[in-house]
Amino acid sequence: MSSTDMIAPTSGWRQLQFFFDSKLHVRLESIIVLVVLGVAMSVLSPYFLSVSNFLNILLATSTIGVLAIGTTLILCSGGLDLSIGSILGLAGVVGAYFCVELEWPWFMAIVGALGAGAFAGFVNGQFITRLRIPAFIVTLGMLGIARGIGLIIAPNGGAIYGLPGPVIYLGQGRPLGIPSPVIILAIAAVLSHYLLAYSRFGWHTLAIGDNESAARATGISVESLRRKLYTISGMMAGLAGLIFMARVNAGDPTAGYTYELTAITAAIIGGTSLFGGKGSILGAVIGALIMGVLQNGLNLLAVQSYYQQIAIGAVLILAVYIDQLQTGKEKKA
Amino acid sequence: MTKLKTILLASAVVLMGTAANAADKPVYGVLMKTLANPFWGAMEQGVKAGSDAAGVEYYLQAAESDQAAEPQLNLCNTMLERKPAVMITAAINSNILLPCLKAANDLGIPVVDLDGNLDPSINEKAGVKIAFQIGSDNEAAGAQGADFVVGKLGADAKGPVLVIEGLSGNITGQKRARGFAEQLKKTAPGLEIVASLPGDWDRGKAANITNDILTKHPDLVAIFAANDGMALGAVETVFAANKGEQVTIVGVDGNSDAVKSIKEGRLTASVAQLPYLVGKQAVESIKLVTEGKEVPAVVHVPTMVLTKAVLDAGTEPMLEFVK
Amino acid sequence: MSLLQISGVNKHFGAVQVLNGVDLTVEAGTVVGLVGDNGAGKSTLMKTITGIYAVDGGDVQFSGESLIGVAPGARRQRGIEMIYQDLALCKQQDVAANIFLGREPVKWAFGFLPGFVDKARMDEDALKMIARLGARIPSIHRPVGMFSGGQQQTVAIARALTFNPKLVIMDEPTAALAVREVESVLKLIRQMRDEGIAVILISHRLNDVFEVTDRIVVLRQGRIEADLQTRKTQMREVVSYIVGAH
Repeated sequence: MSSTDMIAPTSGWRQLQFFFDSKLHVRLESIIVLVVLGVAMSVLSPYFLSVSNFLNILLATSTIGVLAIGTTLILCSGGLDLSIGSILGLAGVVGAYFCVELEWPWFMAIVGALGAGAFAGFVNGQFITRLRIPAFIVTLGMLGIARGIGLIIAPNGGAIYGLPGPVIYLGQGRPLGIPSPVIILAIAAVLSHYLLAYSRFGWHTLAIGDNESAARATGISVESLRRKLYTISGMMAGLAGLIFMARVNAGDPTAGYTYELTAITAAIIGGTSLFGGKGSILGAVIGALIMGVLQNGLNLLAVQSYYQQIAIGAVLILAVYIDQLQTGKEKKA
Repeated sequence: MTKLKTILLASAVVLMGTAANAADKPVYGVLMKTLANPFWGAMEQGVKAGSDAAGVEYYLQAAESDQAAEPQLNLCNTMLERKPAVMITAAINSNILLPCLKAANDLGIPVVDLDGNLDPSINEKAGVKIAFQIGSDNEAAGAQGADFVVGKLGADAKGPVLVIEGLSGNITGQKRARGFAEQLKKTAPGLEIVASLPGDWDRGKAANITNDILTKHPDLVAIFAANDGMALGAVETVFAANKGEQVTIVGVDGNSDAVKSIKEGRLTASVAQLPYLVGKQAVESIKLVTEGKEVPAVVHVPTMVLTKAVLDAGTEPMLEFVK
Repeated sequence: MSLLQISGVNKHFGAVQVLNGVDLTVEAGTVVGLVGDNGAGKSTLMKTITGIYAVDGGDVQFSGESLIGVAPGARRQRGIEMIYQDLALCKQQDVAANIFLGREPVKWAFGFLPGFVDKARMDEDALKMIARLGARIPSIHRPVGMFSGGQQQTVAIARALTFNPKLVIMDEPTAALAVREVESVLKLIRQMRDEGIAVILISHRLNDVFEVTDRIVVLRQGRIEADLQTRKTQMREVVSYIVGAH
């Protein structure tokens, strides 16, 4: 066997897959599912295929996309964060409280939202690593705690309405014709993609999700890494909360209800393993886009709500099945 | 040591005092869907005002969200343990509380259907008797929204209309959307509902739906959302697309943030439910029942359309109940 | 001067005395087999060398310097590697990621972005190492979990050898392998010895021990029971020392 054989597989399809997998760190299958869905929607609805509608889809995907980034990092490390939907709601309320109720300068909304998110994530990390309580339990607890605190801060459980202009611009502005949330998502995705796929931090994240004791034996500080990851996940939820609040011009304590499940779904459709050690940030964004395209298409076609639920459930199962089909083949090879 | 004794003694006195106080006044059990919503917050204020006026105590419980059906049944059963004089219940759906309400019937505790979430035919099958049902008529609220839209655009107006429904399968949202659609069809056949989609009570989702439908129908003339939160999500999308002048947007509830938005000239109107009045009248009417007086089986508390003109004038007497 | 010199090492866990005045020397370029019954103290002894356990008494010297108080990571840097029985591999990561786990080289991407893992260099070094071991692996880009047990063992050995160790401790490297794979691992051990590396081989498979070692040390109840030249002893003698019937 020559050494070139050992670097790359030979057949054309395999080579393409290999290129996407190891060079771009995203699974070719996810992209194919997205494209097929896009083509199907273009055929079904004449309104689908336009730049403005694509921007709509990206805008609609931005919140879930940002959440899915944090979720992907957590899943890769073998962890789980169920609290992000609630943290999204809390972050929006805290941000709005700072700049509306307390009348602090507008940028304090950003500080408040990101700060509240990062703090909640930090607390998650402390409980998980120092008290050794399972992540499922800690973040499930935080799901309730963050939601409760948000409802206490907001008057009468209602929303804090009417944000300052610069904050609204983060959700509704269109610099260069592109909606601000889309730009925020793109920046967050590129930075996190670099972090996971190309930095030691990301490699160690995959390693602890793959085999924690092996990682520890090579000198990786597992607990400190986990604490950082949960803080990042919380901060991403805070960022998503900021986007949500700016889009709807209100800090809504009920915002983000069950979004954690949607974010996990997006990550998994994008090829991230529920059990750690494998995952892709770009994949997660594509996963979120797959659901966004589906939702947008069903809306354009004015499909009734019950059928929408069925369609979304079916696509989830199908996307993961296609992914596993591929993994199965590799195992046999 | 003496200090501790004093504290214990004081607590005992206070406890006895409370018990004596409670024994004086009848205690009404109030079970709501959730408090995580200004609608129910205002309803509680109304219950409080009604209890003060009627000279009764009330004991209020609510589930953590308006989806938490089974937890609400547990709360109901717990409440029954305290043997309240009456039970005022806003059931999360039409069947979950039936076993508990049946037990209340057996104990001779009168039951009020607050906000009209129970279904009379199902009640009959389950053998549950309701003293009366009180609330706004959700279908009428939807129809009122349609009347407002038609009044503003004209009966001969033409153009596409979007309806944003509540959580799919939720009866309140369905009634509002249905009431709107039927009335619109009757009074302005030129206004066509091009899509009726589930916003799941989620502002962000309503914003996305509005975006999608504006893509398909850039000439959209009106949006009806089954609650204010979703209507406000739609408002932000419409204004971001610079179509604030073109699209009439109507929500339901009359929340404080909706009022703010209407005053700013963004949300066009909200069909206010006056939950404060519902809560107040519920307590007052059941008091009459306990005194052996007649109350109609269905009490409809009126709804009113809040617009910038109405709010700015401030002369409408019912405005005092908008919380 | 011996490469590794253990003298009078004691270790107890609570009331249980696990190591009791152990003396052991290992020279560079030799293979020492460490045998003994379960609970004889083999693993504990090895962990006092890698630094996972601190000794209660006695001294561990490496290249003439005492290791007492030196952290596991620092001992690894001085040239002590251990290959664990379960291999401690990340099964979903590829060969290079496993070989360089925790020690990934970084570079500046596009000349200005810091902290990029230098994958090209890692792949190149990984290939060289696999070639040096004369091993066959389907592709270094496959997740190692798809490899056979022997191939995985090769990756674990490659990881231990990449940073030029002086002493490699192998815990039951052949226990889970097919017969033909055992042969290639034994070959690798001889190769290490020929390159001047000292190897301590812990194994229950006495056939393997006899095939590759220069010396066989028998540990029994925390003491060195025997220290034998492999050429001059026989299976029966070793077994009798192990069971304490000598």
